[in-house]
Amino acid sequence: MAKARDIPGIEPDATFREAAASAIEVRADEVFSFRDRALDTSDIEGVHDMRVATRRLRAVMEIFAVCFPKEQHRRALKEVKELADTLGERRDPDVMIDGLEAVARSLSPADRSGIRHLERSLRDEQAEANERLAAMLDRIDRYRLRERLVALAAEARLG
Amino acid sequence: MKARKVKGLDPDGPLVANMQRVIEVRIEELFGFVPAALDPVHVEELHDMRIAAKRLRYLLELSQPLFGQPARKAAKVVKDLQDLLGEIHDCDELMPLVDGHVAEMRTADAATVVAAAAPGADDLDPALVKDAPNRSRYRGLELLMVHARARRDLLHARFVTEWGELEERGFREELEAALRPVEPPPEGE
Repeated sequence: MAKARDIPGIEPDATFREAAASAIEVRADEVFSFRDRALDTSDIEGVHDMRVATRRLRAVMEIFAVCFPKEQHRRALKEVKELADTLGERRDPDVMIDGLEAVARSLSPADRSGIRHLERSLRDEQAEANERLAAMLDRIDRYRLRERLVALAAEARLG
Repeated sequence: MKARKVKGLDPDGPLVANMQRVIEVRIEELFGFVPAALDPVHVEELHDMRIAAKRLRYLLELSQPLFGQPARKAAKVVKDLQDLLGEIHDCDELMPLVDGHVAEMRTADAATVVAAAAPGADDLDPALVKDAPNRSRYRGLELLMVHARARRDLLHARFVTEWGELEERGFREELEAALRPVEPPPEGE
């Protein structure tokens, strides 16, 4: 899992609003840095890293909510939540399949067949979730979420 | 779970004071799930406590430049707590999923078996069940359920023990003490 980047504006003499602007800029940049790896099903860490980065972005948007213009913030946060949910639907089966594998390994081959059947069904769901994620990433590009997050940071700075 | 609203935040006020206020509310929120979460039947409270731990953890991590080493240590403890509650949550997610999968197999098997019955039969021949397409799959899934149930019980017992240890060592007071701002170095250093 990628480590969270330091936020230059989190300093003892900063105001809440200055920190809000820096935090949203750094965290938004982190989210989009994983964008191209998120759809690669052969690299399970890509989607995980983007999901964690999205959670961190959501966290700073909630912590510093009072520093942003209400309506723009509400809309952007809703989209970040939707992105987080879609990444979760894509990622959760990876974790579940890992857990199933661990149990399956300890069983006799005959007893494994039911677990393999469940795994196949999870992989089918995951493939569908990947398509939903592709559509979601396309949507956030079209609606310029990244640019709107940068604009939110600028608004927070202005006050 | 919706986060409790934090009142009195001032965008133009100092970051430290605002963060202290937010963290205090999130600490209150986390501890508010006890004693309910100590009872293993309270699935929802355990899930919500995990979310509360996650919120507090991100706040503490973010605040490290303000509150220093105590915040870093507290974030680590809260992360461990969040991870443990996450493992319990994974079991709580897996069990209904397996149940649902077994129910789907049972429905499909029943449809196949009834279709194999002789036309106009008054009752079902028990021998037909041996050709149910999923017949070899049930046992492994039952064992998977046994594992998930047992793992959940064990992890919850561990949570109760670890939470008891945190309370005994005064973790809440440690968290509150972590909210003291880092002192700037003396002049000339």
